[in-house]
Amino acid sequence: MYPALLAGRYLRSRLIPLIAVGAVALSVALVVIVVSVMSGFLDALKNSGRSLLGDVIVSAPIGGFPYSDEFIAELRKHPEVADATALVDTLGLLRMPYPQGSRKEVVPVQVWAIEPLSFARVTNYKSDLYWQRGSDEKRATMQPDDPRLDLEESLLTQGETLTTNSGAPAIVIGMHVSVANERQRDGSYRPRYNWFLPGMQTVLTVVPVTEGGRVGEQRDRAFTIVNELQTGVYEIDKNRVFIPLAVGQELLRMDAAPVVDTTAEPNAQGQYPIIGTSPSRVSKVLVRARDGILPSELAVVVQSTLDDFSVRVDGDSGRMTRVPMNTRVLTWEQQLRDIIAPVEKEREMMRILFSIIYIVCAGLILSIFWAIVAEKTRDIGILRAVGASRTGILSTFLLYGFAIGTIGSLLGVAVAVVVVRNINGIHDAIGQDAPTASWVVSSGIAVALAILCVHALMRSQVLRTLLWGIGCMTFALIATGLFLHRGTLIWDPAVYYFVRIPDSIDWNTALYTALGGILFSVLGAAVPAAKAADTDPVEALRYG
Amino acid sequence: MGDSPLPIIAAERLHKTYRIGHVRVSVLRGATLSVQDGEWVAVLGSSGSGKSTLLHVMGGLDRPDTNGGQVTFRGAPLSARSASSLDSYRCRDVGFIFQHYHLLPELNVVENAVLPCVVAQSGALSLSGSARFQATAMELLDQCGLTHRLAHRPAELSGGERQRVALVRALVNNPTVLLADEPTGNLDAANGAAILDLIAARHQLGLTIVMVTHDTAIAARADRVVHLVDGAVI
Repeated sequence: MYPALLAGRYLRSRLIPLIAVGAVALSVALVVIVVSVMSGFLDALKNSGRSLLGDVIVSAPIGGFPYSDEFIAELRKHPEVADATALVDTLGLLRMPYPQGSRKEVVPVQVWAIEPLSFARVTNYKSDLYWQRGSDEKRATMQPDDPRLDLEESLLTQGETLTTNSGAPAIVIGMHVSVANERQRDGSYRPRYNWFLPGMQTVLTVVPVTEGGRVGEQRDRAFTIVNELQTGVYEIDKNRVFIPLAVGQELLRMDAAPVVDTTAEPNAQGQYPIIGTSPSRVSKVLVRARDGILPSELAVVVQSTLDDFSVRVDGDSGRMTRVPMNTRVLTWEQQLRDIIAPVEKEREMMRILFSIIYIVCAGLILSIFWAIVAEKTRDIGILRAVGASRTGILSTFLLYGFAIGTIGSLLGVAVAVVVVRNINGIHDAIGQDAPTASWVVSSGIAVALAILCVHALMRSQVLRTLLWGIGCMTFALIATGLFLHRGTLIWDPAVYYFVRIPDSIDWNTALYTALGGILFSVLGAAVPAAKAADTDPVEALRYG
Repeated sequence: MGDSPLPIIAAERLHKTYRIGHVRVSVLRGATLSVQDGEWVAVLGSSGSGKSTLLHVMGGLDRPDTNGGQVTFRGAPLSARSASSLDSYRCRDVGFIFQHYHLLPELNVVENAVLPCVVAQSGALSLSGSARFQATAMELLDQCGLTHRLAHRPAELSGGERQRVALVRALVNNPTVLLADEPTGNLDAANGAAILDLIAARHQLGLTIVMVTHDTAIAARADRVVHLVDGAVI
């Protein structure tokens, strides 16, 4: 078909279509990079949610959930359930072991009292413990001054069990709870002022709340810090501490306790008769699904198990406590909805805003094609003279636009893949001083272009003078920028939750963006193509 | 008149008016011309007399004014044809050759030569066309002495070579009528004569030719010369 053949020939033989291809490529690359990073951010948020919470969360009201051991045993009977664990969460104050002297720093923390072994089977707790020696391969990549190279083997075991070597209850704290941990560019940490926290003593203060919602007296407990935890989610790493479940229940008065009849006569020692035992309670039960089971599917199983369990407990007159009516079963996505939803909305907003660039792209294609059609007026007349139809002329220029859109879009996706996959390296490079060679080379190019500019000026070549001059100024600015560059932190983990920028391509977005680039290129070419089709062949031959 | 054979192509009382800004310019004023099959007619006229317009209208590139006469081909009016039929008429029944060559600059000699074939056969896989196109084009290019220039683009050819490529392009679909608009107007005497010799050779094979020129010496090579004055054939 001659339209395709001519379109291909026009594309290869002119410089101006390359400008259009470049414009489409940059537009597509921009959208794919931005949305990929946003999508990666969202995925990381979701993945971290699952790795921190399991698949389904059973949340009890403030009074707690009783008989959690029995409930978990019931859950484990289901083939959809990989494992489950119970925890108590509350807020507290942590008295840090620094600075020197009696006025220690106190930081607010979110306390999770966990049963560490089952918790590690439901979440990524074990792998998130930061102070571990790691594999030989990982150790080979560590800097010589990395404290992990000389760690005690027992730190990991102590963290896994939340118990010190002497058997005392211990605490694990988030990596950013302490200001003593200084993050390096490679993502590792060094203790500031030699405040290496594992092995140091800290004091946790919590306030128990009764089932009725009344606040009790504050309770303090000293712990030895045995490890620190890095989930990669800044908000978690900055606030969360872990203590053993039994200790947490005891501190918060959620452990098992005898129930006395205060209406009866006390005995000779003044004690009321014991009429039963109030069971220990937990705040949450986290449930992990077996591979291939969706959280939503697991939630149905858990809800059904909870309903049956509640009926059984309610029907057992020997039990002192009922399962709270308003116990909720949520998937991790539902649990984190408040965090995930705004990010999803932000991503869609970015997608819409950046999609405006398509209009710019279409406008650019339109103006370039307008110029091309004007330049090709005589060709249109020739084609019409040898029998080409208006449809054929229209097709030629539409295919031309399609080819530009396709090549530009594919190029844009390729650029986006390279940028996104290396975005952390790029970020790290931006975060450092520019290498001397970079500004020296840029300066050299600027000087060379200046010489060419002067040479062209002396020969009265206006266009060359202008082009060399623009090139000279551009490289001079680049050289100046590189010389003055002193490192910029763009991705601040305190703002963006995660310590690394997501570096995976959102292929769906890449596909839709590429298709959009092609569509808008064709749309941009449509008006000039229609103008070409309407061109009077006689006029075209006479004046083209 | 009743005994005269049906003309292969005829212009009947053609009127054509152009609007240039607010001014209406009548270019053709009742021009009538009948050309018999195999005849070579030269239309002689001064600059601005309407020669090119007459050729464009006869070739289906342009239309006469409403109620401004008609062009017939084999007795059938062009005005009765659909747009696609008119495209086909320009592609297969007539061949154009222009003073300014009008070759596509992105295509080489062979590709320019077979362009009407490719347009006619929209299923062709390449601009070089099928074997049949190639054979026809190569034969014509050989006759025009262009075999050593096949891969060259128009910018790399001399004026005479360009016009010979344009002539091959006009003839490659084996048209019934060749419409030549000052085909030697941009050429020196030697190249002009060479082109005319090539045209004359095709005429000897039975090609009908309508050639407009302002050069009486060139017109003298035709079978018949008509004069176009102020848009009318006299």
